[in-house]
Amino acid sequence: MNDKPQAAISCQNVWQVFGPNADSALSEALSVHSEPEAAAAALREKGLIPAVQDANFEVAEGELFVIMGLSGSGKSTLIRCISHLLHATHGEIRIDGENIVEATPDRLIELRRKKLGMVFQHFGLFPHMSVIDNVAYPLRVQGVKRKARLEKAQKVIELVGLTGRETHHPRELSGGQRQRVGIARSLVTDCSVWFLDEPFSALDPLIRRQLQDEFLQIQAELKTTIVFITHDINEALKLADRIAIMRDGKVVQIGTPSDIILNPVDDYVREFSKDVAKGRHAHVASVMEPGEGHVYGADDPGLRVDMTLDAALARCMDLYEPVPVRAEDGTLLGVVNPANLAAALHVEAG
Amino acid sequence: MAGLSKGSLAALVALVVGALCLLLETTMPWLVTFPETLVVPATEWVGAAMTWLLQLLKPIARAFSALMSYPMEATNLVLGSSPWILVIAVVTAIGWMLGGVSMALMAVVGLGFVLASGYWHESMNTLSLVAVSVPLALIVGGGIGVLANEYPRFRKPVQAMLDIMQTVPTFAYLTPLLVLFGFGPVVGLIASAIYAAPPMARNVLLGLERIEPEIKEAAIMAGGTRLQQLFQVEIPSAATQILVGVNQCLMAALSMVIIAAVIGGFDDIGWEVLLTMRKAQFGPALMAGLVIVVFAVIIDRMSGTLAQDNRKRYDARVAWGILAVGVVASAVTWNSLPNPSEYSAFDGAVNAVDAGLSAFTTANWQWLAAIKNNVLYFGLLPLRIGLDEAVLPFTWGFQWTTQWSMGLFAVGAVAGLVLALRGQVTWGIMTLIFVGMLETGITNLPWPFVLVGVASLGWVASGHGLAVLSVGLLLTILLSGLWDRAMLSLYLSGAAVFACAIAGGGIGLLCAVSPMAWRIIRPICDMLQTIPLFVFLIPVLMVFQIGEFSAFLAIIAYAIVPMIRYSRHGLTETPDEMIEAAIASGATTWQILRDVRAPYAAPTILLGLNQTILYAFAMLVIAALIGTTGLGQLIYLALGQADVGLGISAGAAMAILALIADRMVQGFAEERRKVLGL
Repeated sequence: MNDKPQAAISCQNVWQVFGPNADSALSEALSVHSEPEAAAAALREKGLIPAVQDANFEVAEGELFVIMGLSGSGKSTLIRCISHLLHATHGEIRIDGENIVEATPDRLIELRRKKLGMVFQHFGLFPHMSVIDNVAYPLRVQGVKRKARLEKAQKVIELVGLTGRETHHPRELSGGQRQRVGIARSLVTDCSVWFLDEPFSALDPLIRRQLQDEFLQIQAELKTTIVFITHDINEALKLADRIAIMRDGKVVQIGTPSDIILNPVDDYVREFSKDVAKGRHAHVASVMEPGEGHVYGADDPGLRVDMTLDAALARCMDLYEPVPVRAEDGTLLGVVNPANLAAALHVEAG
Repeated sequence: MAGLSKGSLAALVALVVGALCLLLETTMPWLVTFPETLVVPATEWVGAAMTWLLQLLKPIARAFSALMSYPMEATNLVLGSSPWILVIAVVTAIGWMLGGVSMALMAVVGLGFVLASGYWHESMNTLSLVAVSVPLALIVGGGIGVLANEYPRFRKPVQAMLDIMQTVPTFAYLTPLLVLFGFGPVVGLIASAIYAAPPMARNVLLGLERIEPEIKEAAIMAGGTRLQQLFQVEIPSAATQILVGVNQCLMAALSMVIIAAVIGGFDDIGWEVLLTMRKAQFGPALMAGLVIVVFAVIIDRMSGTLAQDNRKRYDARVAWGILAVGVVASAVTWNSLPNPSEYSAFDGAVNAVDAGLSAFTTANWQWLAAIKNNVLYFGLLPLRIGLDEAVLPFTWGFQWTTQWSMGLFAVGAVAGLVLALRGQVTWGIMTLIFVGMLETGITNLPWPFVLVGVASLGWVASGHGLAVLSVGLLLTILLSGLWDRAMLSLYLSGAAVFACAIAGGGIGLLCAVSPMAWRIIRPICDMLQTIPLFVFLIPVLMVFQIGEFSAFLAIIAYAIVPMIRYSRHGLTETPDEMIEAAIASGATTWQILRDVRAPYAAPTILLGLNQTILYAFAMLVIAALIGTTGLGQLIYLALGQADVGLGISAGAAMAILALIADRMVQGFAEERRKVLGL
């Protein structure tokens, strides 16, 4: 991020502590301990739960920021702090420069009506309303006239591909369709900041992939700032501009997908990236060294910095002649073209 | 909108029939009063049939009665002749085992109060009745529950039977039992066993049905026989639910034993309340009532701890110690203990209450009467006989004329039209119907309108089946000549339910919004639900004397509790994510309440309303003791004359009303649940 525009979201020293008298306990712990870890330990000793500890990050406008972690790592709590469904115990959360921790209830309602949208893991649909009424609900609470709000809702329903299901009730829809309704509802107000709390976790893998693709399309079209929660590393890598990894309430690493895979800060992060096909997510840039002082041959497979490692490997392998494959006693069985080896490894050459 | 919705269609039919009846009532008076020539002497037939049947059963019953008198007399002897120190020690020891210090203290203080009140002897008589009837009810109820679980074919009929047993008013049991078993405490015992068995059966069945399939499968795979599976795995797994049943069974038995006192013949605490109430000695009545409440609270809280999931264990040695102290103290004081009935620590207080009460009512009779008369003249009376008859110069200050009626209907029509134009066709038509009902009064409603109206409601609530069933059942009331009485009952319970719905719903809402309010209201609700029905009559009687208004108040006091509880529960149980979604949509607190919480709570609130209706009917019969004119009075009269036919018919009519109301509200709740996809 070179010339950084004003951050759409910025979190500074955000804490969320659960338990009796969390406020005073936290300020006491912070006054005694300067290190967040020590303060958190002190709180735990008192039987309180520091669900989010000293979170610091910024999300740029139009960025897709993914928060990842196992269940219980505090990621859902963190997104609820940012969307102010929970009042952060301590810290500053700015959305477009405005500190929402100190916002009045009226201002919060105003913000939610105009600026913020949210999608929930279990969809949070209102069972007594039809699809279109669910989608139009954020407009209804603003007092938009029925005709106008249904028109707007219709457009969003088209965007998420639910045309024809407007009068259905949530119970008549499949899981994937329900989440489309949830997405449509969060988009109906043209929000500029979009929160998604594990939106696809409750869905089958196939539907999940389909919705991820559609989500990326929507994002390309709308260019909203997005905070996206997931526990699935592959989902995070597929969608994210940057990823924040959380463990036990702490943000342990923030970085681009290839950062996370190639330079994990600790074993916890490494464990996540173990099962990931690194070649598909890391780019040539991440393994490139300075060109001076190197001797290289005449062969040029045509690598570019933004190529995935898989693609680069295939190009390089193209340079080789086929090599023999032998049986155990040494008799020649056939040949393998190294380029084919590389191609076979990355099935989904993109 | 293509055509009319089901609801508006039904409402329209009812409206047309009602309007026709109103227009034709002058030329065809039989529309309002069902012609007497068509009334079948069903009451006598039922009487004859029942008498024949009862005569047949009488020898068996009498034998059973003789058999039951042994355990009863035995417990009576044991409880009655044990020194009170020993009884208190035993109860305290049990209290310790169940709930530690607090329960033990409650036992000591509670029983100490009973002792000091001078009602020890009567209380022990009541207790011995409960002590015999409860095991009987537990065995019968538990057996029914287990059998219904074993043989799924019986489940439906058993459920239906349990429903009926619980809707038939308590007094109605007594008349046939009286004929069967003759006068005496055994009737109360049997009645209370019959009344207390259904909750046990219901909970046993529920508990067994709810066991996770994997647990049952594990028992099968372990190679247990069916009996082993049942007794070693299933019943222990369902223990919590079964113990809830035990708790409910105990409370029902206590309540019934006290009600059964109206047939007299046994010197128990219920009889004491009745006697003092009849003599208008409200101080002693209140004292005896408090003794009942103390027993109810002790029994309820102690048995309630049994059903707690992870209750603490308490050191048995302490219990033995308490017992030993009790035995030693009894032995030491064996001959020197005075007769417990001679204690009268509260006589002064009782007299003071009596005197204070008289002073209070004389000093404040003006505004007490004002409350009573306002509610009567401006609320209950118009509802009962309609505005056209209730509005008189000496109550309302003017005479109701045809012009007034026209004006009322015009206002109703305009309101209905406005609603209809805003898309609420059903409510528009309903408004017009309500206006018509207000003009005519519930007891003067033409019977064809009632039948059609009930049929339409039933049809909307759950389809043709319920419509046909309701009309069929109502026709039996109509043909047996109990119609007028039934309408009177319907009116009073309807008014009380309406008041409960408004007030209870409001309080429930308040408690849902403010945890503080719930902390205050909750113990009151707990208390009101623990008190046996009978006791509610005392305070209203003290202040407002005998009459419909007192009955109205007593019914409300008892029936409001479920409405409060269910409203609050419904409004607070909305899933978090749904609330978050509404907040994230930018809804205000009020908008969330209106758009999300309330619709989601609707089925639960309807169930609360259902309970309230059943409670109101149950109390209606008891309230007959202090002056109501409906079916309850008939049942009570039948009891006095041992008229089986009348008692059974009136009881059945009452049960029919309750059953129809129950099915309808359940139907609506079910429909709402389906809409919500629950």
